[in-house]
Amino acid sequence: MKKSVGVILIAGSLMAAVLSGCSSKPSAEELQQLEALKSEISSLESRISALESEKASLTRSIAEKTAMIDQCAKDKALVEQRLKSMQ
Amino acid sequence: MKLHNRIRMIVVLACAFAVTAVAQEMSKDEWQQQMQELTAKRDQLNSRLSALQTEVDNLKKQDADQLAALNKCEDEILSMVGATKESAQAFEAELGRIDAKLDELARLSNQDLWSRRSELDDVQTSISNAKKNKLSAIPKYYDRLENQQNRLNGLRRSIESSMANTYTVGTWSKDRDCLWNIAKKPTVYDNAFLWPKIWQGNRDQIKNPDVIHPGQKLNIPAKAELTADEKAATRGYWQRKQSGQTQMD
Repeated sequence: MKKSVGVILIAGSLMAAVLSGCSSKPSAEELQQLEALKSEISSLESRISALESEKASLTRSIAEKTAMIDQCAKDKALVEQRLKSMQ
Repeated sequence: MKLHNRIRMIVVLACAFAVTAVAQEMSKDEWQQQMQELTAKRDQLNSRLSALQTEVDNLKKQDADQLAALNKCEDEILSMVGATKESAQAFEAELGRIDAKLDELARLSNQDLWSRRSELDDVQTSISNAKKNKLSAIPKYYDRLENQQNRLNGLRRSIESSMANTYTVGTWSKDRDCLWNIAKKPTVYDNAFLWPKIWQGNRDQIKNPDVIHPGQKLNIPAKAELTADEKAATRGYWQRKQSGQTQMD
């Protein structure tokens, strides 16, 4: 029994040593760099989303004004015609 | 035996924890790969942002240009009718007053409307005056005035339809009903001098216009000037009255 416990202990320590020690890890500074990049991307995505909605709203506004200008031109012709008949 | 089992259990748990902890940590290679991917994505987003910003700036300019063109067109229309923004506002306020008056009159019962029918004439005067203003040539005002005229005509029609086209004669003691008084009633002709119209419209049941009976149902012809026949009948009535003849044919 003592033997089996010893074997398990040794195997566990070796596994931990192999898994953690054989590959190099990024430094804390590098991890911070990664986090900064992620938050920069998140901020860019929010700004793009805001601009997309501003673009949609401007496009709508321009279309409405274009229709109003067309209507105004028609109104102008109608006013001219009515003024003539009023005289 | 128990002690051995406990130790074995602790060792197994410790190994599992060590393996999980190691697996969660990032390797340098993985870090580099993520950095590369995220940097490429950031650059792509930056160029998208820049392109969008340019587009939005152009659209803002286009929007401002459209607004200026619209204002210019509206100003041109005002100058065509010789008005300013202030005079247009005053005209709009006048149209608002007409609408308010029409709303007020539309809420009245036909009976009340009848008693205030002179106000319909006042509204008609206001509408006619507004139509003389050159601003009324502008479609939004023109349409509003048309709508007001239609509403006023509707009110007049509802008064006319509420006017009686039959009348049941009451008693003299209570209702003071005679053809003269019936014609004078606001819901009949509102004009006593039109009494011959009722007489002539009910020749089958009125032989002598001085004699009508309680409970008689009289037809009330539409309000209008007396016709030549009605005038002749009236003259005949007065002549017979003067000559002392009471029974009419």
